[in-house]
Formats: sequence, structure tokens, C-alpha cells
Amino acid sequence: MIREEDATGREHRDPGIVSLPEEPVDEPRANRAMFVLDGFDLYFGRAHILKGITLEIPSNQVTAIIGPSGCGKSSLLRSLNRMNDRVPGMRVEGKVLFEGDDVYGQSVDPVTLRRRVGMVFQRPTPFPMSIFDNVAYGPRLHGLAKRSELDRVVESSLRDAGLWDVVKDTLRKPATALSGGEQQRLCIARTLAVDPEVILLDEPTSALDPSATTRIEELLQRLAERYTIVIVTHNMQQAARVSEDTAFLLSGELVEFGPTDKIFRAPDDRRTEDYVTGRFG
Amino acid sequence: MSETTVSARPRRGRVSSRAWGVASGLAAAATPLILLTILVVLAIFAWRSVVWNGLGFFTSTKWNLGNLYGGSLVVRHGIAAPQGAEYGMLVFVTGTLLSSAIAIVLAVPVGIGVAVALTSFSPRGLATVVSFFVELLAGVPSVVFGLWGFTVLVPWIGATVGPGMSKVLGFIPFFGGQAQTGLGLLASGIVLAVMIVPIITAVSRDALAKVPRELLEQGRALGLTEWEIVRDLSLPVARPAVIGAVILGLGRALGETMAVLMVSGSAVNSLPHNLYSPISTMASTIAAQLDSAMTDATGMAVHALAELAVVLFLITVLVNLLVKRIVRTLEQSPVLLWAERETE
Repeated sequence: MIREEDATGREHRDPGIVSLPEEPVDEPRANRAMFVLDGFDLYFGRAHILKGITLEIPSNQVTAIIGPSGCGKSSLLRSLNRMNDRVPGMRVEGKVLFEGDDVYGQSVDPVTLRRRVGMVFQRPTPFPMSIFDNVAYGPRLHGLAKRSELDRVVESSLRDAGLWDVVKDTLRKPATALSGGEQQRLCIARTLAVDPEVILLDEPTSALDPSATTRIEELLQRLAERYTIVIVTHNMQQAARVSEDTAFLLSGELVEFGPTDKIFRAPDDRRTEDYVTGRFG
Repeated sequence: MSETTVSARPRRGRVSSRAWGVASGLAAAATPLILLTILVVLAIFAWRSVVWNGLGFFTSTKWNLGNLYGGSLVVRHGIAAPQGAEYGMLVFVTGTLLSSAIAIVLAVPVGIGVAVALTSFSPRGLATVVSFFVELLAGVPSVVFGLWGFTVLVPWIGATVGPGMSKVLGFIPFFGGQAQTGLGLLASGIVLAVMIVPIITAVSRDALAKVPRELLEQGRALGLTEWEIVRDLSLPVARPAVIGAVILGLGRALGETMAVLMVSGSAVNSLPHNLYSPISTMASTIAAQLDSAMTDATGMAVHALAELAVVLFLITVLVNLLVKRIVRTLEQSPVLLWAERETE
């Protein structure tokens, strides 16, 4: 049912709005390293949150970050778009490269970075506006004011998020009238509307019921054809279902990173095995 | 209850919950009842003035208690008032509405601006200190503001601000003209503004601080600047409470008595013709005139002041409703106003 929405996707997008050059849709870009972390340390005051993280996050696939509560998986995710900047006493060492640029370098403006690296949170957070305006908000900030183009962006983003058929007749209604799962898909649509290269998701389904969760998971796999997706989840089945690579974090250290199959079937590290088999966590 | 031993479970809960319902119902009814009682008692007390003055009370700018030292009486509809007495509220209503309007115009941007600065743009330590002083300011007795107004603000307006504004902005109606002593409309408006800024700030700041953190995070993650977050997320979400803060401040301004009395110049019988004209407000007039009104043997002066009080009461309620109505009209569409500016 969701699949049929595949047909009308990004190809409707006006190339003038998006900064990327037009490219054939059916041919996914070859996987390359979207993010490169090299000996990355994160401190909040005296607390050493992340310890010497080194990994490469490939483009155009889903990468999962798993680990027990407090292991730093959300902090790692939020380091990728500098959402930790406002934490008092935040300090970093080592490097995070996004397409070769140092995320924490002098020349990087976090506001610009976040427009290229979108994020979806645990609890759906529709803005205090109509459904249409929630999605149109980002493009409007980018200076898109033409009604017809806005309509097109909103429609294609909502279609990509699998929400168009639900809301196409109620676009002017407040977004808060939607159900939790619908709100979360709206948040994804809102993120897609500014045409990011990466979508970070921080436990996006933990506030949703099982059927809404399934829809989001299917959605993520479809979106991975065109976007780089990094998802933090405490749900190991979810990581196994949606991701191609999985990173296992424990107490701020990257214990193991590799193909999801391998992490769940034949991990190299004993601690990974203990965690994925449910011995702790 | 005797049956409670038989079927204790549902009975007991029902009785206590009913008692609770009655008690809370009474408490809820008390507020409107008190308001209504005050209004009715005042109206009854003011009735003799209503009959004697008729419509003239609402249209006349003349206020004169008449000859209070005996002499002949003027009798209308069987009710007596002193010779020469005239009771017209127009000067006081004008003074009240204009001074409150000035106060709101000055205090709303400052009050909300400070609240936004405290919640979004200042380091936590500074915000705590400033918040403390804001709350302190909200608790200062109005007579202190009045004294400050009289000793500092009024001479300053008379000597510097008034003449300066008159010179530079004199082409705008109401801004030109002689500043004279400094006592008057502008001084009253500024003193009222200083008094209501902390109210507006404190209530708005609390509302802004309650905006869910996730929402602001989401805004940041979408690449919004802090200013865009305030404009499009924090303020819209906090809007009902911020409007409540403004209404609260407006109510205070409309009813403020002592501080205004000290800086208004206590005008009678003349409407303000520029920003620097002396005025009187309804509340300050009631306070200022009550003493001499008590010496009126016919009692009409006090009845007239009571009528003034009833009208002030009604104006306050009316202004409140009006503000809420305007706000509701503005909120008819959930769409942001700025976002509507689209080209076809």
C-alpha cells in the first residue's frame, strides 16, 4: 500500500529549489563515506561522553547506532549536526568530517549544516501551524515563495513520507490534529522538504504503536535510496530490520561497527554478542 | 451512612466525590458572585446619580461638586443636588483610556522583548538575576512609582523630553505644543508603563519557558536561527499566555490610582489637547474627590463618584472582552501571518 506511492517521488521536485544537480532517479548514487569520524571525543563539562570514536558512515543506506541507555548513542547522533552545541561545557576533540568538511571547523555554520543534515526526534513535534505550513516552512525560509512551487514541494514531501493520501484534503488543518504516527511522518516530510542530504533519527518510533512503527521503518528503507540515514534505536529488532550497517556503543566507546548481519549473527566482540543476545541492556 | 457497611465500595466514593463536587462548585461560583455583588451594590448606590444626571453624565466634560456650604438645592426627578453641581465623566474616561493606551504601547514591546531576551538570548546566570529584579519591580508599591514620577520623570519631561519631542515630532498631531510643568498625559503613561512592564515580562517569561524543549530542538535541527525560532515557534505557542499577560497589565493600568494621581496634573473640565496636557483618570478622580464629596449634605457627590466607579468597572470588563475578541479574530487561521505573503 505504501509502495505505490514510490512512483511519484522526488522526480517531481523542481530542480531550481534544490541545490543538487539533477540526476537519474533510478540509479542510486554509489555508496561513499558521508561522515568520517576520526578519534572523536565529546565532553560535557567533566563528563567524557564519547571516547575516541572512529567510523565511516556510508551514503545512501541506513546505518543504525545501538547500545544500552546512557551509552552516548544519542550524543553521537547529535554530534553529526552539532545539536550538542548548547550543552553547557561542551567540548570536542578529534574530527567529524561531513563530505570532507570539518563539522566543528571554524568555517562551518551550524545553521547551514543543519539544513543539509536533517533530524527527526523521539517525540513528534509538529509546529504550531497548519499541516501545509509545517512542510512549507523550511522551503519558505529558503526563500521559496511561489505558490505553485510550494504546493509541489509540499505534495512530494508528503508523498515521500507516505502521508499525502491521509492529509491531502486537510492541509489547512492544524498539524496537532494528526495521530502520533502521522505527526511523526509529518516531521519526516518537513525534514525532507528542505532537501537534506542526511536524515538523522533519534529513536523515531519509541513513542509510536507497532503499526505506525512498521510504516516508519518501511519508509526509511525507501528513503535510503536517495538519502543517507542514521538511526539511533534501543530496539535491536528494529536495527536488524532496517539497517545495513550497525554501530554498537558501550559507555561512550565504539565496541564494534560493521554490516548489521554480522553484528547480529557473528559479532567479533564478546560484549556485542552479550548485548544483541539480550544478556544485558 | 448505614448502607456503607453493606456495599462500601461504590457508595463511599460517590458521596465523597459529590461533596467534593459541591465544594469546588461553590468555590468556582464565588468569584463571579463576588464580582456581581460588588457591581450590583455599586449600581444601587449610584442610582440617584444616574437618575439626576441622565445622559449628561456620559457626554459632559464638566465636573463640579457645586456649593457644598449650604445654599439652595437643585431638584430633578425628586432628587436634590447642591447648587452649581455638574457631573460629567468625559474628561476622566479620556484620561484613563489615553494614559493606558500610551502605557500599553510602551510596555508591550519592552515587556515581551525582555521576556524573550531572558528565555532565549541570555546566559542562565544573567537571566536568573534579571528575573529576580523583574519580580522585585512587580512588587513595588504604586506610590513609590508615583513619587519617582513626580520627583524625577515629571521635571525631566517638563524641561527636556517635552520640548524636545515637541520640536522634533511636533508635526504629528498630539506631539506638538507646550510641555509646561511635565505633569500630565505623557508622565502618566510612562509611569503606568514602568509599572506594567514587570507584569507583562514575568507572565510572558513563564509562558515562554514552558514551550516544549523538543519543539525548539526540532526548530534548530531544521536550521532555524534563534530569532526564527522565537518568531515562529516560541511566541506562537506561548501566545495565549502572552496575551493574558498584556490583558493583566492593561487591567492594572486602567485601574491604577495613586501613581497616576501624583503625576497626572489632576485636570478637570478640560480634555487633553496634546501629550503634555494635564489629565485625570477615573480611578484617581474617585480617590482625590472622595474626601470633599463626603461633605456634600445631599450625598449626590458620592453617588456620582459611585457612578464613575461603575463605569470604570464596565470599561475594564469591556476592554478585556474587546482584546480577547480581537485576538480570536486574528487567530481564526492557524497560518502564520508572515507566511501568508506569497506570490502567485
